[in-house]
Amino acid sequence: MELTTPGVATLRRDPDQRALGDAETADAALAASGDGRAFERLYRAHVARVHSLVRRMVGPDHADDIAQDVFVRAWTKLGTFRGEAAFGTWLHRLAVNVILARRTTLGTERSRHVDSADILDDVAGRPAAPELSMDFEEAIGRLPDGARQVFVLHDIEGYRHEEIADMLGIVAGTSKSQLHHARMALRRHLER
Amino acid sequence: MNDQWTARLSEYLDGEVTPAEQTALEAHLASCDACRTTLEELRRVVTNARALDDRPPTADLWPSVAARIGLSARAKARPAVRRVSFTVPQLAAAAVVLALVSGGAAWLIVRRGTAPTPPVLVSERPPALLNASAYPGDARFAAQVADLERAVARGRGRLDTATVRVIERNLRIIDRAIRGAQSALAADPANSYLNLHLAQEMRRKLELLRQAATLAGARS
Repeated sequence: MELTTPGVATLRRDPDQRALGDAETADAALAASGDGRAFERLYRAHVARVHSLVRRMVGPDHADDIAQDVFVRAWTKLGTFRGEAAFGTWLHRLAVNVILARRTTLGTERSRHVDSADILDDVAGRPAAPELSMDFEEAIGRLPDGARQVFVLHDIEGYRHEEIADMLGIVAGTSKSQLHHARMALRRHLER
Repeated sequence: MNDQWTARLSEYLDGEVTPAEQTALEAHLASCDACRTTLEELRRVVTNARALDDRPPTADLWPSVAARIGLSARAKARPAVRRVSFTVPQLAAAAVVLALVSGGAAWLIVRRGTAPTPPVLVSERPPALLNASAYPGDARFAAQVADLERAVARGRGRLDTATVRVIERNLRIIDRAIRGAQSALAADPANSYLNLHLAQEMRRKLELLRQAATLAGARS
């Protein structure tokens, strides 16, 4: 069975993953009591996902710092994790909050959502020949901040436009428009 | 290509156009090669996005994270200082979590055709403490358990009764999960999940006993 959970793209809920989720909930309870080894297990299980989210949202330059911030914040907030959702879902939403809070200091605040058509054209207009085309991830990274964040949150992370609008402080129509611009730009970088 | 329709292709792809718009757009698509091509490309972009792999950082961030939250290498090897502030409600929460773990294990065992362990959560009977004979296949684990149980027994009088009850209940839950896994493994020794599950439960038992020993020692 597949369940779509707001905030997390798609979670397969087969029995083995349920058992894994229970184990993570137990580790979260241990970590909330101060067990560093339990928290390290949670870190190891989720660092790739958190780091990838951060890298796609803000770029590689600050990804390590912000990913660390996410886990430090998670450690301090473990007491608020009630096990009502999977630990990964809780951590993911916390990561998004940390990333969005850091946007201001990184100069990617709301005003940047008015993207330059020239920049989008630059991304879209790259040569399509395989030897010259950039990696799809790299192309995502070259999108303007607003379009990139909406694309990552919607198409990679599975958030809805209404949720994205709420998180980014924009209207849903802007989120839809940004998503379309991002997709139009990225279609030039599909593997042939 | 019609710009009016091109701008709506993403919404169409996401099922966010009205039925009337959908009908009109599909009529346009039937006669517009360019829009059909663009729609297919947009569809592939979405497919690519969903297929992206997560990559870990190039450098291990854990040492920095551990330092920032006050977990030194020494603290990793021993219970963190915060652990001694374990409260009864926290232990009770852990009991609930462990009950879920046990329930999941029982479900899996049932699914594999082995008789489940009755879901008894609380028993007035004293906890079935581990001994070496209970784990003939892992003498080292049994020795560690025995050491920790002796440590807990020495400090047991310094723990309040509510804490002892919660700890004992947790131990019973873990023991049931261990016995269930062992029973299922007897019928299916090569089952990788059951082997992993047994190892996890044994690890949990050690962790809980270490916490209990710390609590007992910390309050001396």
